Amino acid sequence: MQSQRGAALIAAPRVHLTASEWRQLRTAAPFVLPWVIGFFAFTLYPIIYSLYLSFQSYSGFGDAVPVGFANYKHMFTDPLFFKSLYNTAYYTLLAVPIGLVVAIVLAMLMNQNVREVAIYRAAFYLPSILPLFALTFIFIVLLNPGFGLVNFFLGLFHVPTINWLGDPSWTKVSVVILAQLGAGGPALIFLASLRAVPTELYESARLEGAGPLRRFWHITVPLITPVILYDLLYGTILGLQIFTPAYILVGGTSGGAAYTAGPDNSLLFYVFYLYKNAFQYSDMGYASAMAWVLFLISIVLALLIMRWSQYWVHYEGA
Amino acid sequence: MTLLPRSSIKALMLGILVITACSTGTSNQAGPPLAGCKSGTSLVTFWTSHTPPDSDSLKRIVDAYNSQSSVGCVKMVQVPGSETDIAKLTTAVRSGTGPDVYMLDRFTVAERAAAGVLEDLSQFGASSLSSNYLDFAWAEANFKSKPYALPFDTDTRALYYRKDLLQAAGVDISALDPAKGPPTIDTIRTMANKVNKKDSSGKYTQIGFVPWFEQGWHYTWGFVYGGSFFDKSACKVTPTDPKIVQAFTDMFTNWSKALGVSQVQTFLSTYAPPNLPAQQNAFLLGKVAFMVSGDWVLGNIATYTPNLQYGVTYIPVPNQGDQPATWAGGWSMVIPKGAKQSKAGFDFMKYIAGEPGQRQYTKDSQHTPTIKALDQDASLFAGGHAFFQKQLSAAHSRPPLPVGAFYWDQLSTAQDAAVRNTTAPATALAAAASATNAKLQQYCPLP
Amino acid sequence: MATAREAREAPAPPLTVAHFPRPRPPLMDRLVPKGVLVRIGLIIACIFFLLPFYWMVNSAVKTTAELTNFPPTLIPQVFDFGNFYRAVTYIPFGTFLLNSVLLTSGVTLGAAMSNPLIAYGFSRVKWPGRDFVFGICMATIFLPFPVLIVALFDIFAKLGWINTFLPMIVPAFFGSPFFIFLMRQFYLSLPNEISEAARIDGANEFQVFLHIILPLAKPAVAAVTIFAAVQAWGEFLAPLLFLQDESKYPLSIGLQFYRQSHDVAYNLLMAASTLIVLPIVALFIAFQRFFIQGVTAGSIKG
Repeated sequence: MQSQRGAALIAAPRVHLTASEWRQLRTAAPFVLPWVIGFFAFTLYPIIYSLYLSFQSYSGFGDAVPVGFANYKHMFTDPLFFKSLYNTAYYTLLAVPIGLVVAIVLAMLMNQNVREVAIYRAAFYLPSILPLFALTFIFIVLLNPGFGLVNFFLGLFHVPTINWLGDPSWTKVSVVILAQLGAGGPALIFLASLRAVPTELYESARLEGAGPLRRFWHITVPLITPVILYDLLYGTILGLQIFTPAYILVGGTSGGAAYTAGPDNSLLFYVFYLYKNAFQYSDMGYASAMAWVLFLISIVLALLIMRWSQYWVHYEGA
Repeated sequence: MTLLPRSSIKALMLGILVITACSTGTSNQAGPPLAGCKSGTSLVTFWTSHTPPDSDSLKRIVDAYNSQSSVGCVKMVQVPGSETDIAKLTTAVRSGTGPDVYMLDRFTVAERAAAGVLEDLSQFGASSLSSNYLDFAWAEANFKSKPYALPFDTDTRALYYRKDLLQAAGVDISALDPAKGPPTIDTIRTMANKVNKKDSSGKYTQIGFVPWFEQGWHYTWGFVYGGSFFDKSACKVTPTDPKIVQAFTDMFTNWSKALGVSQVQTFLSTYAPPNLPAQQNAFLLGKVAFMVSGDWVLGNIATYTPNLQYGVTYIPVPNQGDQPATWAGGWSMVIPKGAKQSKAGFDFMKYIAGEPGQRQYTKDSQHTPTIKALDQDASLFAGGHAFFQKQLSAAHSRPPLPVGAFYWDQLSTAQDAAVRNTTAPATALAAAASATNAKLQQYCPLP
Repeated sequence: MATAREAREAPAPPLTVAHFPRPRPPLMDRLVPKGVLVRIGLIIACIFFLLPFYWMVNSAVKTTAELTNFPPTLIPQVFDFGNFYRAVTYIPFGTFLLNSVLLTSGVTLGAAMSNPLIAYGFSRVKWPGRDFVFGICMATIFLPFPVLIVALFDIFAKLGWINTFLPMIVPAFFGSPFFIFLMRQFYLSLPNEISEAARIDGANEFQVFLHIILPLAKPAVAAVTIFAAVQAWGEFLAPLLFLQDESKYPLSIGLQFYRQSHDVAYNLLMAASTLIVLPIVALFIAFQRFFIQGVTAGSIKG
């Protein structure tokens, strides 16, 4: 790994390029240029500008006033900042592992040798392409404490009514459940990797007397670890960004009395608080500081996961 | 599925670019900008976050203005928003697509002016209008001694009670006669508990009194308990005032615990969710027997439930003999920065926030005017409204700070925590204090 | 940031377009008599995933009175199809729909034009630093969009693009890492010889792309187009930030904002949601193959 990283860096264009390498660049340029331009304009520049803004006090009107590290210092004394971090962490720690398990279970179900499996596959995948805002609206109706279907079901088992969207202990759980409707996409990817496991491995294991559970743990799981890694990484990044369901459930900029983001600010996710600071409190400097902290957290988490993955991911070949 | 032929792609692209470019077109025809206006008037966009029935009254005033003005032609647009949430306005102004006139909650004028969202109205001669308005209202509309708003309406709060529900539960409502002065909180508690009803699964279908329902805010009970929210000399907000902490403990935490924290929350989620239209208010529908709310409810009752059996008295006080307390809020008209028709907009503002507009609004909605002359016109305060009007002279008002809206949200967060019994009131209020004071610092000392 | 190798390996599941024969299910076949247990599991999962959809349609045709009934009825006692008509007239549905269509068309066009082009440069042309730059491209998948929203808003405000569709449509013409990856996977499966043959015949690179590779890539382009359209149809945060006028709102935020300033009964909301979701469902039924093959880069047939 180290040598390969070194090789990649050396391969990166530095100073000395042969004539043929220049020609290659010229050939490739018209193809990749759109992405390069877009990267600089819509990704790199905004990130740097965001960093600049994070050191300013800027309401969005008039001029930005430099204030040094004031915005970052403010974060440490802002209870809502920590609340929003907690809410997002809570959600991510719940949604990612659950999502992983659901996707794998779904994939195994989709892999069954049942004649009409294509129908089931379609059923599992369909919700993942439906617009999230529409699914949120449906959940509002399903989870209503008075007449919602879910509470009715629970009542049949003598479970007391849960105020899914009004009880601070349950609001995030509701969003986690909502997110599982999107498990169809990752499940398909897991399905593909399940199919890629050579059957001879299972055969020889069975001949040696290994039961289904042992076969699962020692053959299936190791061979799908690259997909698990991908799902973990992508799921974590998605978890950090959670916003839309919270915004809709809270009523966004409601004409009513939603001064907190959900009961006891339980739906005040990090990005939601960022948005409020930028557009409701007109504190774009502080919001930019929050954006950069999120950026750093994402990088650190991604690196940590990648480092940890060395111990359990099996790559096929090299 | 085949790729589209290149010519179709080009045509499609062109079409989309043309449509998006044309998406902000302005009409340039001669004649009145809108039907009902006179020719030669300028189109003024007016945004409000109010909903029916109040917005219906606003529309009536707008129509009246349009029919007689030779300066402005107003188009009223309802937008999402609330007292402290003007995200839609700020993003619109920031991108140059804001309205010419906006209806802003008056106690946030200082904060929005400080952020640079509002136009200074002295350039239109607003300062000469100051003597027309009630003093506290005019003070709220100023920032750094410059007028940034014209006060519109105000209001006070009182205790509404359902005579029919209470009498059916065997309560003697003569104790609630305002002539006897404010009732004590204990009295109300005893009466209210007689009205509580649960269904077979243990969920509340009726609760006598939920102190934080409607206008039973942090400010409300804080003022009733005699607390002070702002120390001008120290330039600090003081929500940790022991009286305010006591108010939170009694009216939020303990009251919620007595009713059952999660049960009362379920009740409110079911019968008082956010965005509920006025005609489905839980008091009007008989789900609660007591409600702290403002004078505008009189207008709602007149519109939706004219035969309601109800009464009005002072907000209950902690101890027998305490002075009654209430606070006055209200809205105002402002011109956001970058408004294109600011002169015509100000002409409209003079009308709606002036005598003709406020007179109409008071008659329709039962809010209270901020124009001194109207305030003394007894004919505008028929029936129950007179009670609210009398409270006005002694009413508190919220400190007009450059962090007013932020402070409100912090207090609301603390209130929510207290009501759900997740944090002790003293702790929650201390958090509100430190967060708000951190933001307030840059504006100290205040003029 | 992940190294080039890690970036190449990590987001890409080890999928190849090799055709594996349908394997015997490794786990349950010995345990379960005639797949009964399996079917039960499948049906339970099916119920969970299809319930929201069913409930949406169910609620859309109920009267308000029946909708707030407890216990809730699984099949409406009274079918009120007028809800669809009311949803479309009470809410400015037509305006929102037109905006959604315009926005989706613009974004989809951009995606269909840019991603096949860019991915070609990352896969079928060798150039120094290619893998490194591609690694950066893939790394941006892991950049949360919200990190950019404050800066992007300010930038677009200064450009005067706020309250137009430009902030959403223009970036679509500059590629998107997910779709670049998808196209690249496909291109990698095409043999080098066909490009070489064309080059030897004197074609320049762009001609090879246009006349040889692109026609072969139709299924992948179709997948990109469909995914881009589905994603744009449900886009929420970007329109929320960049559009101000209610007359410009697409269905996603239009419906939500209308709920906040007007009383929209739940059954109307469900009826409107049904109408919004219908095009996606139709698209899925018609092009299911492309969805599934697109997600798995062709490893799973139909």
